[in-house]
This record gives sequence, structure tokens and C-alpha cells, in this order.
Amino acid sequence: MKLYLLIMKHTRLLSASILLTLFVSCTSTTVDEFRQGETGIESDESVVILGRRQASDYETRSEFISCVGEGMNRGENAINVVPEQEFVDAMFPWFEPRTAPLRTQDLERLMAEDVIAEKMNDFGIRYIVWVDGSTVQSGRSGSLTCAIGPGGGGCFGFGTWEDDSNFDARIWDVGELTSVGTINADATGQSYIPAFFVPIPLIARVEANACSRLATQLKEFLIGN
Amino acid sequence: MNTKKWKNCGVALMMLIIVSCGVSNVVIDGSFPTPNIAKLPIFVAVIYDDALREFSFMEYTETGEEEFNIESGGSHIQLFNAVLPAMFDEVVFVDTIEEVQATGADAIFAPAIEEFQLALPAKTKLDVYEVWIKYNMRLLTAEGDYIANWVLTSYGKTPAETFRSTEAAINDAAIVALRDLASSFSLSFGQVPEVRTWLSNL
Repeated sequence: MKLYLLIMKHTRLLSASILLTLFVSCTSTTVDEFRQGETGIESDESVVILGRRQASDYETRSEFISCVGEGMNRGENAINVVPEQEFVDAMFPWFEPRTAPLRTQDLERLMAEDVIAEKMNDFGIRYIVWVDGSTVQSGRSGSLTCAIGPGGGGCFGFGTWEDDSNFDARIWDVGELTSVGTINADATGQSYIPAFFVPIPLIARVEANACSRLATQLKEFLIGN
Repeated sequence: MNTKKWKNCGVALMMLIIVSCGVSNVVIDGSFPTPNIAKLPIFVAVIYDDALREFSFMEYTETGEEEFNIESGGSHIQLFNAVLPAMFDEVVFVDTIEEVQATGADAIFAPAIEEFQLALPAKTKLDVYEVWIKYNMRLLTAEGDYIANWVLTSYGKTPAETFRSTEAAINDAAIVALRDLASSFSLSFGQVPEVRTWLSNL
């Protein structure tokens, strides 16, 4: 009976933790769109999403690029997305951090190479999306202490921090060799870890939200009218 | 638990402590794609010396203790083996200059690593792992006379991530640096002034 009560007590505690995780850690996301040209994509055409890796103090994570690609590749009006690494390997050495085109004029020069134009055609690439950004953690405060002894262990305290994800997506039309627009996704959120014996992480899913919103917006942008 | 088992546990724990305090060995491992470039119509003999084949770099802690031993000789050979046949019409790998003349090669290519640097987030306070490598590229005639000797640098970085080990991050940064070497070397080879002059006289 005692064991049953103990299990019930812990189950309630766990359920309360899950509910808290779902409701307490909030994220606010802002998406801005700037359109420079008409867009549209056929079912046999593809998009490649590439991370910019020229900055010295941060790097656009490949996991974020995959996340945006997966978001565009599923659901209603799914778009064919060529995986970043597959594209970069096939185009080697023209899309490495040092050699990747920075402007559409550079892409025009690159497309003059027969082998590049041929591979681009094989992949069916209609748009290249350059994603540049990172997630920065700031405002870390509070303290959390964990201890373990012969009689058991536990954690006490409270910790909090803020995450800020900022990503720019620049869209190039490979057919027209022009830039057709820019989308910016900015997400911020406060995460908390209260601990009373058991630490309960209430993590703001900042980067995941930025990814999801950017993928949705990119899909709408590319499909056009 | 009897005394013998306690002793065994103690020895295992001590071993764990000793191992965790020692130097970490990182053998750079990755794959390299073949470059999409126009081949130069030359026959090149390639010599990898032992310094390149067995190249390793030791990173020390701020107190001067050995921290990471990075072995990248094998991956450099793997990289050149993937890149050179895509750059030249014909490539042969030899061990000494004496062997070259029998092959009928137009030139000898001998790469060497001059410097290797590693930057860890714990030291730079940046959220990236960085690798910087300086090379000395040498192109000689089949007889071993000078054609060109130039310096090439490559750089690679990878972001620090919560669930990735330092060893894996160093490996990823080194692979980016090696790809950077492959791209800059393959695209700039014909632009090196001495090489360009030699190619135009062939």
C-alpha cells in the first residue's frame, strides 16, 4: 500500500512537471518578409537551403538548416528540398565557406561553368536559400546546487537564462540569377530550472520555433501567388 | 561484497581517474568529395614524405600539460589522393625522386605541413572550435629541380554544441579545414605565377 502511495505521489509530481514544461516556458517569434521579385515553383523543381559560414565568431548550424528543410518538405504544399551536405559535396569545391558565391553576380559567373550548370540542372534547383544566423544565450542568473550522499541526493535552487535566435534567409532565383527576397525570423524566450529535490527544466524552444516559422514562411514565399 | 571485489573496484576507479587525466588522442577521420574542375593536361608524380604521413599535433593546457594529440597525417593523404587525380590528367604515387624518372612524369608534387594550430572555446571564449593549417606546396621537375614553392593556409571551424564531445568537434573543424585546403589548392594551382609560367612553356 505504501509503495502504491509513493508511486502515485511521484506520478502526480511528474505530470505536474510536464504540464509546467508545456505552459510556462514561452517563446515569442517575429517573422519579417521583404519581397523583391515574383516566385513560383513547379513539382519537378527543388530548393536547396545552405548555411552561411563566413562569420568569424559564430556559425550557422547544419542542424538548423536540416530542420528548415524538413519543415518545407512536409505537410501541405510540400517542396522538394535537396539536403545541404549532398548538394555541397556534389558541387565541391564551389560551395565551400571560402568559395561559395556571396552575391548573385558570383552565382552567374559560377553557372558559366558547364559542370556546375549541369549538376544544378540534375538536382532541378530553382531556388537557393542562404540562411545566416545563430542562437545566443544571455542573462544567465540564479544558482543550482546538487548533492549526493549515502542517504540519497537532490538538487536545490533556481536558474534562468534567455535565448535569442536570429536567422536571415536570402532567396536566389537560379533561373533568373537574381535575389527575389529576404525573410528574417527572430525568436526569444526565457528558460527556467527550478529545483526542489528534482530539477524541472522549463526550456524555451527558441531555435525550434524560429525553424518552424521560417520553414512555413519560406514555403509560402516560394509558392507565391 | 568481499575484500577482493572491493580491491578490484578500487583499481578500476584509479585506472579511470588516471585515464581521464591523460592526453586525448584524436585521429582525424572524414571523407572528401572529388572536385568538379577541369583537369590540367599534365602527368604528375606525387611524393608524401614521412613527416606528412605521420603528422600529429599536440595541444597543451595553459599549465603546459599535454591535452590533445591530433593525428591528421592519414586524412591528409586521403585528401590528396582524392583531389590530385581530379586535377591532373595522370597521377602516380612514388616514394622517392629517383623513382620518378622511370614513370615519365612531367613534374613532382610534394606537399608538406609547416604549422598546425587549434583554438578551443575554453581558451578563446568563442562558441567555435577552430583549426588552422599552414602548408608548403612544392612542385619540382622530374629531375628534382625547382619549379614552384608556395604557402597555402586552410581554416576550419565548427560550433560548440552541448551534446558533442571536444574530440568530435576537433575532428569536424579539422575536416572543414581539410576541405578548405582542397578547394583553395585545386582552384588556385594554375594561378601560382611560377606554375602558370611553367604550364605555358609545356
